Amino acid sequence: MIQLVLYLVLGAAFLASLYAFARRSASAEGGAQIILRARQALSALQADLLPPQVFERIFANGDYRYIISAGDPALTAMFLSERRKIALSWVEQIRRQIVSLREFHLGSARLHSQLSPRVEARLAFEFFTLLCVCRFLQLALYLRGPYAAPRMVGRVVAVASRVCATSEEAMGFLSAVKVDRLAGKSAHKMTAL
Amino acid sequence: MNNVLKRTDVLQAADDLRRRTLASIARPLDRLIYLASTRDYNTGFYYHDGLASRFAQEVVCEALADCHREAFQELVGASLENLVAQMEAYIASTQTSPHDFVVAWKKLEPYRVAVPVDSDTLTSDFLFSNFRIALAILQARLNTPRTAAPASSPHRLLAQ
Repeated sequence: MIQLVLYLVLGAAFLASLYAFARRSASAEGGAQIILRARQALSALQADLLPPQVFERIFANGDYRYIISAGDPALTAMFLSERRKIALSWVEQIRRQIVSLREFHLGSARLHSQLSPRVEARLAFEFFTLLCVCRFLQLALYLRGPYAAPRMVGRVVAVASRVCATSEEAMGFLSAVKVDRLAGKSAHKMTAL
Repeated sequence: MNNVLKRTDVLQAADDLRRRTLASIARPLDRLIYLASTRDYNTGFYYHDGLASRFAQEVVCEALADCHREAFQELVGASLENLVAQMEAYIASTQTSPHDFVVAWKKLEPYRVAVPVDSDTLTSDFLFSNFRIALAILQARLNTPRTAAPASSPHRLLAQ
């Protein structure tokens, strides 16, 4: 009986090790996807979401003053509702891209980058702060409209820009050619599937 | 090297386009609509006979796409007040009845097919949203009885 239990335990351990091995190979393939997603997230943040002309335009006070001058409550309500949708979409896109970058730092960055533990700790804190501020900003925009928290908007932009700069440094090991190759591989894999 | 040469060609073609054709189209809204109209909806390629006589078709296509992106960015950067003014001027230039124009644009949303194909979703959505607000302003003006209103007010009379 004791021998049977022993064999069962050994068998279970063997199966568990096989499962762990299979998962490790899968995550190595997934690692390339994470790097690729992080690269795309970084360029989306830097080119489309964080430039001053983008957020300054979305939260422009001049447009609000112009609408207010009409003294038409229906027009004002429509304007605020439209701007709120855009503002919420802006924050949500930033949050999603930041989550992609965080995945990269939690996984692949440790293997390739030369970041010191101190920088990594600071980065982890900034990710946490940024995701919290994004959630608070979304709540504020949802409840009180697009002009509710201009300082929080500024904070999101400032922290996100810092995170981008550190991530860019961490991704320095990836040349554009490598990224293209990764993109090509994943596209090939998708076609094969 | 080949890419650099090709890029120079594209810059020349775009410059030519700006100096000859686009110089006579002052408003970014008009330029956006004109440049979108040079694009084949089935393929996404741009065509321009005048430019095609001096440059290769792929150079013409890229130059038109560059100018289209430029007009799009200009329009995105325009204030709401400026967009409303551009729409008013555009309506006047089409010689359509403002009422018919506003009704058609609200229903058909033709501006949705006028944006460059590679524009990011947030920026396009922002412009579409501004168009919807501008149309609401124009409609409110059309419904407002003819009384004097300040020049900068959204309720200023349409085509005064």
